[in-house]
Amino acid sequence: MAEALLQLSDVHAAYGEVEVLRGLDLEVGEGEVVVLLGANGAGKTTTLRAICGMVGTRGSVRLAGQELVGRPTEWVIRQGIAHVPQGRGVFGSLSVEENLRVGAWNRRDTAGIQADIERWYGVFPRLAERRTQLAGGMSGGEQQMLAVARGLMGRPRLLLLDEPSLGLAQIITRELFRQLEQINREESVSMLIVEQNAELALSFAGRGYVLESGSIVLGGTADEVRGNEDMRRAYLGY
Amino acid sequence: MSPNIDNPAYLLTLLTGGLTNGALYALVALAIVLVYKTTSHINLAQGEMATLGAFAVFELTRRGVPVWIAIGIAFLLSFALGAGLERGLIRPLERRGVFPVILATLALFLIINAGVAIIWGTQPVEAPEPIPGGIEDKVDVLTGPPPFFVTYVSLGVLAVLVALLLGLWLLLEKTKLGLGYRAVAANREAAQVMGIPVGRMYMFGWGIAAALGTLAAALVAETAGTLDFNSMGVILIFGLAAATLGGFDSVPGAAVGGLVLGLVMAFVPGLFTVVEGDLSVVIALVVVLVVLLVRPQGLFGTKTLERV
Repeated sequence: MAEALLQLSDVHAAYGEVEVLRGLDLEVGEGEVVVLLGANGAGKTTTLRAICGMVGTRGSVRLAGQELVGRPTEWVIRQGIAHVPQGRGVFGSLSVEENLRVGAWNRRDTAGIQADIERWYGVFPRLAERRTQLAGGMSGGEQQMLAVARGLMGRPRLLLLDEPSLGLAQIITRELFRQLEQINREESVSMLIVEQNAELALSFAGRGYVLESGSIVLGGTADEVRGNEDMRRAYLGY
Repeated sequence: MSPNIDNPAYLLTLLTGGLTNGALYALVALAIVLVYKTTSHINLAQGEMATLGAFAVFELTRRGVPVWIAIGIAFLLSFALGAGLERGLIRPLERRGVFPVILATLALFLIINAGVAIIWGTQPVEAPEPIPGGIEDKVDVLTGPPPFFVTYVSLGVLAVLVALLLGLWLLLEKTKLGLGYRAVAANREAAQVMGIPVGRMYMFGWGIAAALGTLAAALVAETAGTLDFNSMGVILIFGLAAATLGGFDSVPGAAVGGLVLGLVMAFVPGLFTVVEGDLSVVIALVVVLVVLLVRPQGLFGTKTLERV
């Protein structure tokens, strides 16, 4: 079997003395959407940080066969990964359009960048209205859209999303996921999503993993994960 | 009140003197701000590094290099020194916390200060003159009596400040390098996951700050007529005050802060004879304190404008 686009094997990650990931295995196939579920502190955010080389990591993280562990973050990003951090992390003192340009940092095709900016303005009209405004002055939902669009400006093969629905109204979350679904379908961008809203995420993802104390305790198709008794009790609440 | 209060020449002289000194404080404040914006460090050795740069200009001109070329060479050398110190000294220490970095810049201050004194001695040397500074190098404005004139040095210092502000604005607002620098200043971690080489932006900030400092010190020396190993000691204090006044993370704030500080320090003792000249320093710092009480982020500093 061909290797998946993203392959994590026996990944350990630690902040100083505190080990957060303990032998984690996970994969995301080409064009696939995978959701990572788990309680607070299970290590979901750390998993994304480990992929990007933002935390001390042992084990193997491979993107299209290439080892990422031990590489600096900027190198990892150049391989085709975009990371939309938790709490959005837009550049508050830069304008909306400048934020998008920073997202295209590794690209050289000026015309293509401009076309993509217009394209995301088309997808998120609110951003177009506010293109010259400072990003820090926008609402939470607008900042989240900007963070997603900024991530996609890098034309990634793999998009890592950390709690995209955090703090968003339900209607905005739905719209955001509808957009993500469309991007996945039309661009075949693979996605690894950390999400509290398990129900919503599983309705969109092909597969899911459940993380507990730094390792995977359950993995399978979205239906399998949804159908698991323990899983339902723990995260879906019914 | 000063008896010269209704004398236009006297008032204009206070104005140009204040603006000239203010422009020098502004240059030092700019250097401090450019380091602070990305790395959140205050380089206490900023002034001494600048003195070293000015002595490099002095040494080169003594060996026959034309003064503006000497400044250009010193500018580039300072850039390399600043960037190298960030990479080789500050960044490894940063992992251990803020205090080791502050102590390291303090150590640099002492080392460079002593080093300059050892190499070039403690006696003042004649300052290189990038701007014609002779007795006749002035523009007469009021023939008087009493006369009023503006020296080429004053005009030159102000022109350098304006040119640098314009250049910095172009560099930071209109280039990709500037976009990356501002992104790191706005949100370090997010900049990192965009693929921006954050470390190189730190080096860029330190380098450009050191280069600006060298230019400032060369002009400070010319204004004073002489250069010595302590030339930038007091100026660093005023630069820090100007940066505080303007807001530590604001480039235009540094410029305005410097000019305001220069004007206050010229006019307060100039108009109120009860204030001795030496007290102008105290007055300046009082102004800074008052501004900080009313606006803790300084005149142009940004409160982080973020909603949850």
